[in-house]
Amino acid sequence: MDGISLQVPRGTIFGLLGPNGAGKTTFVKMLLSAVHPTRGSALIFGRNAREPEARRPIGYLPENHRFPTYFTGAGMLDFYAALSGMEWGERRKRIPEMLEVVGLEQWGSVRIGKYSKGMLQRLGLAQALIHSPSMLILDEPTDGVDPVGRRQIRDVLTRFEEQGVTIFINSHLLVEVETFCREVAILDKGKVALSGKMHDLTAGKGYRLTVAEAPEALVEALRVKAASFASRNGFADFQFATRQLANEAVDLLREQRCEIESLAPTTSTLEDVFVRTVAK
Amino acid sequence: MRNSWIATTALVRDTFREAFARKIFWGLFGLSTVMILFFLFLLRIDLVEGGLAAVSAFGRINATRDVDKLVRGVYGGIAAFLYSWGMFLAVFASAGLIPSVLEPGRIELLLSKPVSRTHILLGRYLGNVLVVSCNIIYLVLGVWIILGVKTGIWSPLFLVSIATTIFAFAVLLSVVILIGVLFESAALATMVAAALMIMSIILAQTNIMLRLLSSEWSRQIWRTLYYVLPKIYDLGGMTLNAIQSRSFDGFMPIWTSALFAAVVLGCSLLVFARRDF
Repeated sequence: MDGISLQVPRGTIFGLLGPNGAGKTTFVKMLLSAVHPTRGSALIFGRNAREPEARRPIGYLPENHRFPTYFTGAGMLDFYAALSGMEWGERRKRIPEMLEVVGLEQWGSVRIGKYSKGMLQRLGLAQALIHSPSMLILDEPTDGVDPVGRRQIRDVLTRFEEQGVTIFINSHLLVEVETFCREVAILDKGKVALSGKMHDLTAGKGYRLTVAEAPEALVEALRVKAASFASRNGFADFQFATRQLANEAVDLLREQRCEIESLAPTTSTLEDVFVRTVAK
Repeated sequence: MRNSWIATTALVRDTFREAFARKIFWGLFGLSTVMILFFLFLLRIDLVEGGLAAVSAFGRINATRDVDKLVRGVYGGIAAFLYSWGMFLAVFASAGLIPSVLEPGRIELLLSKPVSRTHILLGRYLGNVLVVSCNIIYLVLGVWIILGVKTGIWSPLFLVSIATTIFAFAVLLSVVILIGVLFESAALATMVAAALMIMSIILAQTNIMLRLLSSEWSRQIWRTLYYVLPKIYDLGGMTLNAIQSRSFDGFMPIWTSALFAAVVLGCSLLVFARRDF
């Protein structure tokens, strides 16, 4: 880690990306004081991360967690809620609520040794949320989870985002981060290589025009102006680099009464941005 | 303060839960029960009456005093047995409870909670001591009640062995914790604790050894080791003397062992506080 400073707006979903060994997990562990910086300090909500109280407003789900299998789902939530300082009465009320939120209300009394990977992730999420934290730090929350489980996790997180919880996701699943996070930072070799709003980072690549059954001569004319072209099932796809070129193509097609199937701005994928950033 | 209390009870309950799950608690409880049943069996074959009869055969007159002496002797023997063998079992059984907490994927989650590392380790230590204490209290009280009911002689001094056994275990557990925090090895922790128990027997022969050792520096080393290391053997001897109402030479074994435990525990806390996980 080398002088990392990240600003995560309150109530947003923030994604931290980076290649293997970039320092994502180390960074998160520093915030939680599981790893000590060789110099400098980690601050969270303006408090030194080494102070136990600095961690009170945080909920955390580690990567490759190993919850003791002797716990039942409810027992595990009770233990971690108590460590967060919750009173017994409060815990007794909150545990069934959280089990319901993550869809495990029927599993509270079952030992977690019998849980599937997806269920463990959801239980881990409930554990991180049980004390109503204002910030959630999740390290690879959907890693190894099937698509249905991922969807459930995303739904839970969206619900808490709407309640104003800041969600910090550390992940290498780019598609997941792209569909879910509002802001993102890319770590590379221990430094922040790129950060910003997802929309800004992936915007501004060009326009895709799809045409149905255009005359061959017209297709050839448009191909010259297009950055790329593809033909499939009677449709022709043109990729134009600028809005002006796309408009000229539309004018030409309408003059010849050709059917336009769709016209849409295209963006860089997060993968494009990521590869460009770490390849520099 | 309230949060601290809630977290402490959670850590202690977790230790108990793990001790139950790993069959440590029930293992110790089962062995204690077997031992209690063994004493019941011995008393059913009228060991005490037999002993008393043997004593009377040598022409003693005061039967009550003889029974009392015999019972105290039995108490002493039991206490010595429980102290040595029970201690080893307790250390062996609980040595794994520290490394298990430090497993990757488990420790990070614990550390992310608003609880200091010192609190986590001391909570675990306390839980461990309480797990073993429950078994020691059950065993000693059980044997005491059986002997008391059978003989009508209730020697409260036997109960001193509860305190001394728990204390000696707490001292050895501090070493188990240090080894656990440093190397995360239950086997190594058991070996070191057992070595300390054996060394305490050897070092306790100070008076003889100081006469036998030829050079002054070797005598100094012996003395230093004797005073620095925990006096598990001497503590056992003190317990025996207390049960049999014999005098003993001061409380030095207690306070030097307590000091040793405090220093070792302090080192464990320091190492744990500085470690990266």
